[in-house]
Amino acid sequence: MDTQWPRWEVFKQDSPNKPHQAVGSVHAADPEHALLTARNIFARRPQAVSMWVVRAEDIYSWTQEEVAEGQMTKGESYQAQVGQYLVFRKTSHKRSMTFVDYVGEVEAATPEEALKKAQATFTDALALAWWIVPADRVYKSDPSPETIQSWFAPAKDKTYKQQQYYATVGSHISKHKVGRGVEDEE
Amino acid sequence: MPVKYGVPSDPDYNERLAEFEARIKRGEKIEPGDWMPEEYRRQLIRMISQHAHSEVVGMLPEGAWITRAPTLKRKMILVAKVQDEAGHGQYLYHAAETLGVSREAMLEALLAGKAKYSSIFNYPTLTWADIGTIGWLVDGAAIKNQTMLAACSYGPYSRAMVRICAEETFHHKQGKEMVLLYAKGTPKQRQMAQDAINRWWWPALMMMGPHDQDSPNTEVLVRWGIKTKTNDQVRQEFINEHAPEILEAGLTLPDPDLRYDEKTGNWLHGPINWDEFWQVVNGNGPMNKERLEARRRAHAEGAWVREALEAYAAKRQRTAVAV
Repeated sequence: MDTQWPRWEVFKQDSPNKPHQAVGSVHAADPEHALLTARNIFARRPQAVSMWVVRAEDIYSWTQEEVAEGQMTKGESYQAQVGQYLVFRKTSHKRSMTFVDYVGEVEAATPEEALKKAQATFTDALALAWWIVPADRVYKSDPSPETIQSWFAPAKDKTYKQQQYYATVGSHISKHKVGRGVEDEE
Repeated sequence: MPVKYGVPSDPDYNERLAEFEARIKRGEKIEPGDWMPEEYRRQLIRMISQHAHSEVVGMLPEGAWITRAPTLKRKMILVAKVQDEAGHGQYLYHAAETLGVSREAMLEALLAGKAKYSSIFNYPTLTWADIGTIGWLVDGAAIKNQTMLAACSYGPYSRAMVRICAEETFHHKQGKEMVLLYAKGTPKQRQMAQDAINRWWWPALMMMGPHDQDSPNTEVLVRWGIKTKTNDQVRQEFINEHAPEILEAGLTLPDPDLRYDEKTGNWLHGPINWDEFWQVVNGNGPMNKERLEARRRAHAEGAWVREALEAYAAKRQRTAVAV
């Protein structure tokens, strides 16, 4: 293959009061490209107000098992860096639509120290996975109202992309409906 | 992410397998980084990558009709649908990547003709009514399968499926609306709709794959919660929903053996032509060569865009360092 672009994890915020959630990844040449691609892939429906992207290699992640076994260091990519770290956490694996959610920031000298601080700070739920990201590695969509409008509002007007737009079709949908709906559909 | 793919020769394999299967039984999702059998990983990569390729190749038969849509409304719907398919391919490549396979390797396999994708896309779209029929029957069949997979045990795959199902429901509805309107339209429109149903019905039934007794992977897929229903169960659900709706619209189905069975409540179908299925799977369908050529051409013609993006990224990197 002629291009091997880095992989970027995408964090999407559905509404101002909800956390950014890890929804998937894109491949892109630079942060701007990653954000544009993320928008095209993860915000075709009106469920977003903000997006962040982080290169996959800049994310330090720990599973519950690693934490339990004390496997704290993360190998060669592990770099000491004093500053702010963003903390993401997954707390449920019971249903499909559970994500690694943003919970807050801590100040630390290394990702490992950031993890320890995160464990001490965010104690309201058991973490099944922790992701720690140096704050300067996070690229965010522009928070200005104009950008939010131009990036995320157009999807709202495209009502023909919603199944409800076609709800009046066929008088006998319920009559022939078999089986149940999609598990925890958004 | 640490790599923990268990093989039977591992000293703790049986113990960990028992834990893994107990987790699935409890309804927990397996997430990247969790211990899993190598065979679970292999089956998932096989299924998810085929699924991703199907979304990508699936853009081709429909994309061909964008410029010929009869109204602006239908054109906007079709553009949105094709764009969705591209997005679905990306969700799925991402889900496969969480298992340690690269997107480039998967795309390379597709372009080299080594990867499989759903055979349905190797049939031609001959008239505009095919666009409605694909939405109703092909997306209808896909949704049945995807609804089942939305409940699967692997977190990233199940999340991709929940998103995809929510969006595919629009594809299904717009297609159904279109075909039902033509069924109530002029004799020529009715005939066009009927012709499309006649050509797409059997290939749609084949989409769920071989009968259960001829599907060697099913047992392990069901045991590990990757599939929660068998091919024949999904096929039956699809027929039970669609056959009565099509007949009620005054259209017919190209199966003289099709009948409603009072005892089971199922619509029973006649024999499926599996020779045709395997012919198409093995590359001899009406459009196999053309689809692959179209993908290769699109990739080659997009090379300058990829080069420009890389050059721009490199330039910004240099500027950033200089500052």
